[in-house]
Amino acid sequence: MRRLRRFFRTPEAIAGALILGLLVAMALAAPLLFPGDPQAIAGPALLPPFQDWSLPLGTDRLGRDMLAELFHGARTSLAVGLAAAAAALLIGAVVGTLAGFAGGLIDEVLMRISDAFQTVPSFLLALAFVSIVGPSLGVVVAAITLGVWTGPARVARAEVLSIRERDYVAGARVIGMHPLEIAFREVLPNALPPVLALSSVIVAAAILTEAALSFLGLGDPNRVTWGGMIAEGRAVLRTAPYLSIVPGIALVLAVLGVYLAGEGVVESTAVRRSLP
Amino acid sequence: MTRALALLRRRLVGSVFVLLIVVIGSFLLLEAAPGDAVDAYIVSTGGDAGMIELLRHRWGLDQSELTRLANYLWALLHLDLGQSVTFSQPIRNVILDRLPTTLILMGSATALSFGFGSALGIYAGARPGSFRDRFLSIGSLALYAVPGFWLGLVLIVVFAVDLRWLPIGGIETIASAKTGLARATDVAIHLVLPVSALGFIYLALYLRMMRAGMAEAWRQDFVLAARARGLPRRRIVLAHVARNALLPLVTMLGLQSAQMLGGSVVIESVFAVPGLGRLAQEAVAGRDTPLLLGIILVSAVLVVAINLLVDLAYAFLDPRVGASEAGT
Amino acid sequence: MSVLTISRRGLLAGSALLLASTALPAIGRAQTPKKGGRLIVAADSEPRNLNPAIVASNGVFFISSKVVETLAEASFDGKDGLQPRLALSWQGAADGLSVTFKLRDGVKWHDGKPFTSADVAFSALEIWKPLQNLGRTVFKDLEAVDTPDELTAVFKFARPTPFQLIRNALPALTSVVPKHVYENGKIEDNPANNAPVGTGPFKFAEYKAGQYYRLARNDDYWGKDEPFLDEIVYQVLPDRTSAAAALEAEEIQLAAFSAVPLADLDRISKVQGLKVVTKGYEGLTYQLVVEINHRRKELADLKVRQAIAHAIDKDFVVKTIFLGYAAAATGPVPKNDPQFYTPDVPTYPFDVAKANDLLDEAGYKRADDGKRFSLKLLPAPYFNETKQFGDYLRQALAAIGIDAEIVNNDPAAHMKAVYTDHAFDLAVGPPVFRGDPAISTTILVQGGIPDGVPFSNQGGYKNAELDALIAKASETLDTSARTALYKEFQKMVAADLPLINVAEWSFISVARDTVGNIANNPRWAVSNWADTYLES
Repeated sequence: MRRLRRFFRTPEAIAGALILGLLVAMALAAPLLFPGDPQAIAGPALLPPFQDWSLPLGTDRLGRDMLAELFHGARTSLAVGLAAAAAALLIGAVVGTLAGFAGGLIDEVLMRISDAFQTVPSFLLALAFVSIVGPSLGVVVAAITLGVWTGPARVARAEVLSIRERDYVAGARVIGMHPLEIAFREVLPNALPPVLALSSVIVAAAILTEAALSFLGLGDPNRVTWGGMIAEGRAVLRTAPYLSIVPGIALVLAVLGVYLAGEGVVESTAVRRSLP
Repeated sequence: MTRALALLRRRLVGSVFVLLIVVIGSFLLLEAAPGDAVDAYIVSTGGDAGMIELLRHRWGLDQSELTRLANYLWALLHLDLGQSVTFSQPIRNVILDRLPTTLILMGSATALSFGFGSALGIYAGARPGSFRDRFLSIGSLALYAVPGFWLGLVLIVVFAVDLRWLPIGGIETIASAKTGLARATDVAIHLVLPVSALGFIYLALYLRMMRAGMAEAWRQDFVLAARARGLPRRRIVLAHVARNALLPLVTMLGLQSAQMLGGSVVIESVFAVPGLGRLAQEAVAGRDTPLLLGIILVSAVLVVAINLLVDLAYAFLDPRVGASEAGT
Repeated sequence: MSVLTISRRGLLAGSALLLASTALPAIGRAQTPKKGGRLIVAADSEPRNLNPAIVASNGVFFISSKVVETLAEASFDGKDGLQPRLALSWQGAADGLSVTFKLRDGVKWHDGKPFTSADVAFSALEIWKPLQNLGRTVFKDLEAVDTPDELTAVFKFARPTPFQLIRNALPALTSVVPKHVYENGKIEDNPANNAPVGTGPFKFAEYKAGQYYRLARNDDYWGKDEPFLDEIVYQVLPDRTSAAAALEAEEIQLAAFSAVPLADLDRISKVQGLKVVTKGYEGLTYQLVVEINHRRKELADLKVRQAIAHAIDKDFVVKTIFLGYAAAATGPVPKNDPQFYTPDVPTYPFDVAKANDLLDEAGYKRADDGKRFSLKLLPAPYFNETKQFGDYLRQALAAIGIDAEIVNNDPAAHMKAVYTDHAFDLAVGPPVFRGDPAISTTILVQGGIPDGVPFSNQGGYKNAELDALIAKASETLDTSARTALYKEFQKMVAADLPLINVAEWSFISVARDTVGNIANNPRWAVSNWADTYLES
């Protein structure tokens, strides 16, 4: 409760939470408010917003309902962000914990692999991966994950290095716990908070990367994403700017919201940790 | 000095392994791709089965994957990057042709984001929690949240089409035969928009890091002591607070170099800049495995070199960093 | 701030779109051509091999046709739709075993050497027949080229070859390159493939990868007073939105091949100083086709194919996807073809109820979730319109209970998936009609084509009757008999639906008003531009 109050101390965090809440509400409400395929053709093509109240945000090049697409897009964009973040955190935490706890050759090999991933520009990697495997939502998530798992891995490793010499770890060793059990039951949970702090950055980066991939024609054609909407609208940026401006604003707000909320969480926990 | 040399040696040995992983990994990834260079070529030409077989043979694609990987690594040992099938030229030439453009673009964009970012960060961090602090940090974040391609397109419409202050793209006036200073000015003018689009995206990173670092530094004892001594605020901000917050930014510079190259793929495409990023995209589309490997290798070497420089700079700037792994 | 300004202005433009008339500004005014000037043209891709004798494709012609000329060019009013270029006349023998070309006198290669019949013989035998993507089919029976004198070339065929086919192939397949440049060494490795040498009005000057190609005036060109331009520069603009911006910013003067997106044309036509030109592509018709994998049991059923044909609203495709810059197709030959087209074929009007009935009859009842069966749909990635049609087709199929999943691939992967691995159920393809069904159209439905041949029948369709008809037409010498056979061919294809022809479209050019003599032949964008000029 106290943490919650601490979280809501700054207007930024409140704004972030509000945006994020709205985003989640949109994602959850999408199938209720707009049942059926959001890509279905609903009216005349290129209808500008606020002309027809059954299609309040107008329609796109094929006559699809922009508002329905926007709501369903919230769903996919959020899903891409969360899935990529979850995958990156999971892989990063496991690799980082193994490397930090095992040390020696395992550590060296895992860290060189992570170096290799960090050396290749993550967007280039994502681009190559998606063009090779073929664009679908899962592949896009995997491609983004490939580029961002090293961050959590490094943070987890650094945390584990500092934790593994602590008393309770030594204690666990004395009572004869299996090293892997120690690593994942004793060390990892304690190393997790700073790793989790990276999640907002990753979610935001994932949403942006998905947009950039869509721009290059590498989005999942069976799903609506905001990135895909912007990319499609850009060809008519001047004839029908609303096609890219509406999802563009949504995307900017979402990324901003995720960031601000994430920062709020980090700050509220940081204060707690410096207080004890 | 010897400490720095030891660090250098350690890092170089490590880098060779890293580069080897990068090369083999990318090779395997490209091999897994559906369609090869011949498929990519035939898209624009058409042709019959005999012609396809002929091309596969000519480009050595009828050999096994292992043979080609071995051949590639063997040639690489002799610093030979091979021949590009899409350009029918040695890959070294193709890459060297594009490298300067990318270096200028990335260098200028990095300078812009680092320079403006840290300056604005200092301005914001001088008074943590003030209106200007909030405004700048949220404003820069909003800029960061704008997809790069979209920012680029909007910049083109406003500054190149409507106002006509700047060219819409390219690296220089085409076929202009300009030389010397006139050409340098021409290139500079062409780079304004792409550098802005690329640089402003990453500006937020440095700005926020700077102000976060400064917010932290304000609470440190030595700053409190300096304030107690009654030093002028301006002096405290610059000499104590900002200086302390600058060091992590230098590390960020190294880490960011790889990401900047990725971001330039999209920017180069929007602004028709003939750089490495676009070349990489063409290599993927053309399934030109050795070309893509060459690009990844060159960019990896660049990134490794930049990080090495950053580490060395760090080792000199901060005496606490020794042979330990801090700073990576 | 700037974003807001654009949005306001853009919104106004957007609403104006609905009110806009379809009228386009008149093309070109009668003017005496001026000499000199540099024409800057948008190029969206960079062909590496610029030898049109090897790669007969529009991407290559767009640049090289100004440098390397063919024996004849397409024409709006010439006999058989042709006008002379390097050949002055062509005459086919009655037995179909030879064709005689009389060549133009006084033509010089860009390096100063004279152009002779030996060059034509060399190009035909050493390049068109063994190496050219299209020539390998059309010239497969070419046995020898006799050169009784320097200005006569007689093509000798081993088997009777219809003169009509050779004639129709002249504009695209007969780029003549110099023998003395190519005779030594491997033709595929010749540096002239990247810096072509020809007889055309422009000489190849330079290529900066990723930036531009530059062509310079050929002062020794055979055409009187031609060319008018001093230079043509192709500026590489990879992003699809840049061409319109570059035109408006007056950085380029011409964007051909619909480099300006169709949806932007209405706005751009109102920009002062720019004109939208729809002519000049009549000989370059692209066809929007649904390719069908007949290995899928459902799709092997004619009723299912008919149902799909009935489910497609061609009117919507033409009006919404192509914004009117296309025509609904009836069969495998486009309506604008003057020689072969027949409207007398089975048609499939848009009728969802009928489509549903056909599927019920075929035994594919809707399951509880309303779906009959699922399909993989692969739209070709080369054009915006093929991708948009893919999106539309998915919705059209949903309406008749077929659940289509779109698979987007890049060009190389699409090529492999459709034409080699056959890993598709439906694909959307844009084949080109090249003036004669035998050049690149019959191959789309013919049986027995080996795997991996792009833009051919890879759907596993086999119809002995149709194959016999194709074979017969390929050796029928009499023009009217041959034409009649191809009319029969259209009927059979439309009846049995080995593939579904949806629409036919050509491209649009946008140019500054100052560019003159554009679009004055049916293949203008890929012709030699000798008479194109710039007003100062």
